[in-house]
Amino acid sequence: MATREELLKAKIPCGETGIEIRHTLCDICSPSSHCGVDAYVKDGVILKVEGNKDHPLNRGLLCTKGAANRQYIYRKDRLQTPLKRTGPRGSGEFTPITWEEAYKTISEKLLGYKRDFGAQSVFFFSGYCKWYRPILQRLAYSFGSPNYGTESSTCFTSGLMAWETATALPARPDMRNSRLFLGWAHNPYFSGYLAARNTERLKKNGVKFIIVDTMYTQTVEKIADLYLQPRPGTDGALALAIANQLIANDWVDHDYIDAYVHGFEEYARYCKGFNKDNIEDLTGVPYEKVQKAAEMIHEYGPMSIRESSAPLAHHINGMQNYRAIMALSAITGNYDRKGGQMPAPFTYTHQASGYHTLEHEFVKEARKSSMAAPVGAQRFPLWNQLEKEAQSMDLPRQILEGIPYPVKAVLAFGMNYRMFPDSDTYMKKALEQVDFFVDVDLFQTDTSRYADIVLPACTSFEREEFKSYPGGYAYYTKPVIPPLYQSRSDADIMCDLARAMDLPDPLLKAGYRACLEYILSPVSFTVDQLQQADTPLKVPEFAPHQEFATLKKGLDTPTGRFELKSELIAAHPEWGLDPLPTYRAPLDDADPALYPMTLTEGGRLPNALHSRLHDVSWLRTLRPKACAEISLEDGEMLRIGEGDLVTIETPCGGITVPVTLSRRMPRGLVSMYHGYREASVSDLVGHDRLDPYSGFPAFRSSRCRIAAAARKGESHE
Amino acid sequence: MSKMILDFDPVLCCGCGACAVACMDQNDYDPGTGNAPFRTIFETQELGDKPVFSHYSVACMHCSPAPCVTACPVGCLRKDPQTDLTVFDNRDCIGCHSCAMACPFGAPSFNGEGKMEKCHGCYLRLQYGLEPACVRVCPTGALRMVTQEEYDQAHGEHSVVEEARRIAGEQI
Repeated sequence: MATREELLKAKIPCGETGIEIRHTLCDICSPSSHCGVDAYVKDGVILKVEGNKDHPLNRGLLCTKGAANRQYIYRKDRLQTPLKRTGPRGSGEFTPITWEEAYKTISEKLLGYKRDFGAQSVFFFSGYCKWYRPILQRLAYSFGSPNYGTESSTCFTSGLMAWETATALPARPDMRNSRLFLGWAHNPYFSGYLAARNTERLKKNGVKFIIVDTMYTQTVEKIADLYLQPRPGTDGALALAIANQLIANDWVDHDYIDAYVHGFEEYARYCKGFNKDNIEDLTGVPYEKVQKAAEMIHEYGPMSIRESSAPLAHHINGMQNYRAIMALSAITGNYDRKGGQMPAPFTYTHQASGYHTLEHEFVKEARKSSMAAPVGAQRFPLWNQLEKEAQSMDLPRQILEGIPYPVKAVLAFGMNYRMFPDSDTYMKKALEQVDFFVDVDLFQTDTSRYADIVLPACTSFEREEFKSYPGGYAYYTKPVIPPLYQSRSDADIMCDLARAMDLPDPLLKAGYRACLEYILSPVSFTVDQLQQADTPLKVPEFAPHQEFATLKKGLDTPTGRFELKSELIAAHPEWGLDPLPTYRAPLDDADPALYPMTLTEGGRLPNALHSRLHDVSWLRTLRPKACAEISLEDGEMLRIGEGDLVTIETPCGGITVPVTLSRRMPRGLVSMYHGYREASVSDLVGHDRLDPYSGFPAFRSSRCRIAAAARKGESHE
Repeated sequence: MSKMILDFDPVLCCGCGACAVACMDQNDYDPGTGNAPFRTIFETQELGDKPVFSHYSVACMHCSPAPCVTACPVGCLRKDPQTDLTVFDNRDCIGCHSCAMACPFGAPSFNGEGKMEKCHGCYLRLQYGLEPACVRVCPTGALRMVTQEEYDQAHGEHSVVEEARRIAGEQI
């Protein structure tokens, strides 16, 4: 028999060791995951984590990142107390203060700016994760500011806007009922492991896969029946060429188009400009592959298409490219059809779970009609029209310029200035200049060093929260350990601030749980029942979408149809935007002779999620250095070997990093992951290179050059 | 409990490294020590008609019979009678590296005190009805812990077990 000591070392949960298993969720990555976790806990300390086998989403699994939760939670740089800055901005000199003093200072300051400059002078920002967002949005509106803005100003929303422009609704691929999946920038092995499992399962069941990606990813390697490799940001041209081929061969669904689609004739005429004479020049994809893709789309249906949050969106033409791709589902009759793209209204925090909550009402009822236009409204009018929140990418400009009105204070939950393009000279400068900056975070970050007040938040393991999952599931967690140090739940901090400022909002002041009781009032289960269950429950109100239900009812677009030509955009010629999903070349106007290569930022790694895991040493063992990837051919041509230091330069600046030579990379492309303190690649992207439709930055397509800086092992000066 | 086999199929592996991190969590690995982790991952790339990648997750192969057990002069290594996994008690380890010399796969590593450590197959977890940490987390099914009978009935055509045993057999 094993001794107690051996059982403790092996972390066996049993009476002898006193180790208990408690359930929670991992919130390291996007809310589209948030896998269920079994935390092994003894004496209030987490000893180990693994996936919860009873959880309907992940069924016992965790990804690379989720497996590192324990080290993430116990990072040495966790904030312990509220802090007040004592040295210059950026110095990192702080002194601990009490929560009471922090709340008093913040309340006085924010109410003072409201009195002197108007409530719009205070910006409420949310980074990752999204779990508290309705609470923060309501806090902003109850305060009177229209300036609620988030990290989703660079992620996810561009694709949502493409759908809203076409159908006035979000949509999701009904992949499990498809016979063909168009995986445009689909590499879930490193970004959504559960989707990778589903993809493999469908592949085994005979589903065909067209994979479109600039890089030869794991999905290309394991899944693709047909692989198309366009250059970054040329996706729109490729989609229009595929459409042109479908239309030329009369492989479109005329009955469906006649009944449900608007603008087909104009769109079809526009598509003719993308053909066998120019498509390889425009995109790098041979015309034969365009033909082959069209043949597969014709031969196998229904077809669903990958929804992409970032890779397709991070170009100056990102939203239009996205519209062009999704137009393929309309002309082939695959929208609102089983196995195609299904309308998917959000349940909570951008998750479509198949039941209704009062999230939208909760936020909307606090919005006052008299509020000023939010930041970014003038510069990104389509964004403003559709999203009705601030486009955060315009925040640094407005802080620095004060036009059309000054922004004096920023209350941020999880802000990272490196999320902004050209961050080192632009967003960081804005944070140096803004009058008052409060940063709430788990960790002492480079951004928090600029804050006047820093507040310690806690992780998902240390709080309670509501979460909805696909298939009609609702989950309300219990904390598995008490909050570390003096940290508090983000949502509690928001409700505390509503009380400290005595905002006219009794519900918000009643606390997070009361807010959720209201939001969940259409659901049969109470918050207490959900929490007692300790596992996600399927709500009786779950109603899966029925195909054609939305189209037959008529869409909420100006024409009631799927708009290939947007009548919303057409009605606003002053915006200078195109009603059709037009294409323009993605790259900047730097001299190609000086900058012959293309830099793409943010291609996923299995061990990283933005910057939040760069300081988790288990994960860094998998890829210790911030490095760039290039093709073997470029390495040979430039006489750069594996591990050599290279300098990557754009007109915005340069960084020096080790290089990895990879057969996944095409010639001419430099790929690098973002958010590294020692080499922040977003500093190389121009801050004015924003998509005029969505406001998204062009992180994935900048002209660049690289040169050897030092051989591996040599010192670099 | 029947003899257990820690099976690995490189064709199913995607190189995500979840197994390596779960192993670190299970075994309280501290990268700051400079010690080697029990499980590592790597990828090889070749060029054929198109790029060809192979993904590997490597730790102790739990050879049967195991050359390290024969090599250890002080009896630290043994086959667990319940699971047939290669386990160790390093209190008597003299740091002679004989096990490392005998191991064809580089599994044994040596901690700051010079004592041998390696993957123990989470044999105690198995005895308590739990899977090894690496197997539990593996999203692609590349890593499995199976009985000899289960292994004989079904395994991926690229399972490394047969080859590992052949190589280990030559070592003994």
